[in-house]
Formats: sequence, structure tokens, C-alpha cells
Amino acid sequence: MKEIAIIDYGAGNIASIVNSLEYLGRKVKILKEPSDTHYSHIILPGVGSFGKLSDNLKILNFDRYIIENLKKGSFFFGICVGMQLLFEQSEESPGKSGLGLLKGKFEKILPLKDRFLPLPHVGFSKTNNYNVKIFENLRSEAYFYFIHSYYLKKVPENVNYCTSEYGEKFVSFIEKDNIYASQFHPEKSHKTGLTLIENFLKL
Amino acid sequence: MQNKRIIFGLLYSENYFHLSRNFRLQKVGDIEWLQKNYAFNETCQYIDELAFFLVSRKHDKKEKLKFFKNINILRKKIFSPIMIGGGIQEFEDAKLCFENGADKIFINSEFENIDLINKISDTYGSQSISIVLDYRKVNTEYLVYTNCGSKKNNFNLTKNFLNLQNKNIGEIILHSIDQDGTGNGFDLDMFRNLNLSSKKPLLLMGGAGKPINIKEALNEKFISGVITANLFNFIGNTLKVTRELCKSSRIQIANLF
Repeated sequence: MKEIAIIDYGAGNIASIVNSLEYLGRKVKILKEPSDTHYSHIILPGVGSFGKLSDNLKILNFDRYIIENLKKGSFFFGICVGMQLLFEQSEESPGKSGLGLLKGKFEKILPLKDRFLPLPHVGFSKTNNYNVKIFENLRSEAYFYFIHSYYLKKVPENVNYCTSEYGEKFVSFIEKDNIYASQFHPEKSHKTGLTLIENFLKL
Repeated sequence: MQNKRIIFGLLYSENYFHLSRNFRLQKVGDIEWLQKNYAFNETCQYIDELAFFLVSRKHDKKEKLKFFKNINILRKKIFSPIMIGGGIQEFEDAKLCFENGADKIFINSEFENIDLINKISDTYGSQSISIVLDYRKVNTEYLVYTNCGSKKNNFNLTKNFLNLQNKNIGEIILHSIDQDGTGNGFDLDMFRNLNLSSKKPLLLMGGAGKPINIKEALNEKFISGVITANLFNFIGNTLKVTRELCKSSRIQIANLF
């Protein structure tokens, strides 16, 4: 039996993720604090600033919760800032740290190849899928919705990943063991996004 | 590379969705009518974002709750980014929008309220704030108006536009009161006359009547997207046709279908 939980730590729009899961016929538990119940799938949404959400995660003890449940084998999906928080740092909030499960630092988007690109990066962009298993039944050029000012330029070691481009190439999706994370918003990406969410829930 | 955006807007006031012409509202139909007659869910597959505008002249709590109720019914089967706004005067107004499904909110009459902008940006990030500037051309000058076009702002459009460049906001939407609802096309004369370029995404609103109007606006390098709230001309298949027209004209636009 698959039990799905969404971590509610003050990260903006969780209504949309709940909405997409319900549309796919799944029941979902919204966690306002860590729980002893085992969830096979845990989603960490993220609309807001890195520093503020990093603080919230720690104040509510969700940092330990995530690490413990990853060890227990739960599948985990981080969205947008929920992806960024898996890494070490972001230029958005100097001095604040993420969970450090993956090595890397998010940098302010600097589109050197096209200085006229406006910031933030807002809109649908395509992902180039290298070896990500969860993308198997998607089109080779899948479009997802992005809204962000910081990105991960350096590909972390030993992960499967996708890249996208906004002036520069950046990492838009990663897959490592039971961790999955996207810079884009699958819950906002029409049918393509729903397919990706469904793929995750099939794990 | 930037993919240009086509945003569809719904104008809501007192149980009805509306057409607007030079900011005068005309009732079109209620939510049942919209779902039944306009294949609304299908239309939403062809857009980059959906925007809900509360255009009521009154902004009491009851009216807002009804507005959100309509949004919550419509977005059940829609998985596109959502922008919500209209009458946002304080942080709590914005918070309600986010709690009811907004990825972005827009601020209109309160665009000079820096405390409000900073407070929203601290919690939800600057990318979540869009500013809508309503303007009209008076003689040779472009002037900004607030409060549904009734109150003239102290500064002109260029000045306000430049002021917004370094604020904690995500994008700027320029809404032409003169073009609104005419179907004559977006106000590209303004855009060219003022020679605007922007560090933040710049969008135009007001005037789209046919697919070619959208194509012509998106063809401009510094225009990131357009908003149309024209219920009759841009619902059903028309947005799909518009995307295909843009693509065949070599405008960068996402392959959504």
C-alpha cells in the first residue's frame, strides 16, 4: 500500500500538489509536524526563499525527519526550493544551510550568453534527459514550468540528471537512490507534469 | 533562450465572468456557463499560465470568498501555473491568494507600497509578485492610473516602469486602458515610442482580438509574454492555433502539446 505525505512547512502553494495527487486518484496526508507513521512517498514542496524555508524545516524538525525516512527507504521528491534544500547552500541566503544530502551550491542565474534575458526565469522550458529512469515514458523533449532566480550549474557526482537552459545550461532534475528532485514544478506542467508525478508514485 | 508566454485571464465580479472594454465591464456568464460552453479545461492545455482577476468595484470579504470558491472549482482539473489578484492591499490579501492556489499574485493600485511588496517577497519570494500598471495615452504622454483607471498616479509610465526595475518583484505587466477590449491588437506603439527594455520579464495586456495580435507582440525581443482576457475570441481552439502561428513564425514558444 502506498502512503503519500506532503511536508507542510510554510512553503507556499501546497494546494496545487494536493490537487494533482487527488486528480491521480491518490490520498495524501499533509504533515504539519514529523510523524511516526511510515510513508512510502514523501514530497517536499517549495515556494519561497531558501533561508526562510531552511529555517522552517529545522524549527519544525523536518530536517531529521527527512534524513531518517530516507534511510528507512521512503521515496522522496523535492520541488523547486524543495530541491535546493537537499543541497548545501544557496547564494539567495548566505549563511543558511540546506540538508547537505547532495553536494552543491545554488547560484544566482547569470545568463552570460544572452545578457538581455530577463530575470527571474519564468515559463515552460524543455528538459534534456540523459539517463533519468523516471522520465522513460515522457517525450524526449519534455516541457516543464519554471519560476526561479537561482540555479545549480555544476552537476553533482553520481546522480542521474536532466539539464535545461536559460542563457546557461543548469541542472533541472536529479535522481539518486530514493531521492528525486526538480527545479521545475511538475504540478504546474500540464499532462507532462502529471505523468512525471505518476511515475514517481509508481516507484 | 526564453520561451515566450501566452497567458489567459478571467475577469471575475459578483458571480460572473466578464468582458472588459476600456475598463467597462460586460457580464458574460457564470462558472457553469463557462465550463459548459467553453471547453475550459481543454483551453487551459494551450496556455502558459492562467490568471484570475477580481475586477469587482467592491472588495468585501464575502465577494472575495466567492471569487476564491470559483477559482477552487475551476482549478481542480487544471495543472497550469496560476496568477491571482485584484484588490490586494495588505499582506493577508496576498496570503489568501497563495492559499487558494496562486503561484503568483499581482498588485495593481498598491504598486508603490514598498512595505507590502517586501513583506510578500520575504515570505513567498520576489518571483511570486507581478505588478500591473494600467495606463492610457493623454495627448503625447503615457500616464498611469490606479483604482480601476479612476485615479491618476503622480508619475508617468516610463518613470514608474524604471522605478520598478530594482524592486523585489518578479515581472511587470503593462495594461493599456485604451486598447482594453478593442481587439485592435496590443499597444506596440507605446512599447516602441518609449523604447522600453527591462531586466525583469515585461508583459503586455489589453487589445488582443485575433491570433496575429499575439504573434506581433511576442515577436518583440523585450516582450516576454502577453495576457488576453478576451473570452469570445481566445477560448476553445483559438489558443492552440495561436501557438501554432507563433511557432511557424519562429517565435520561441514551448511545445505544450
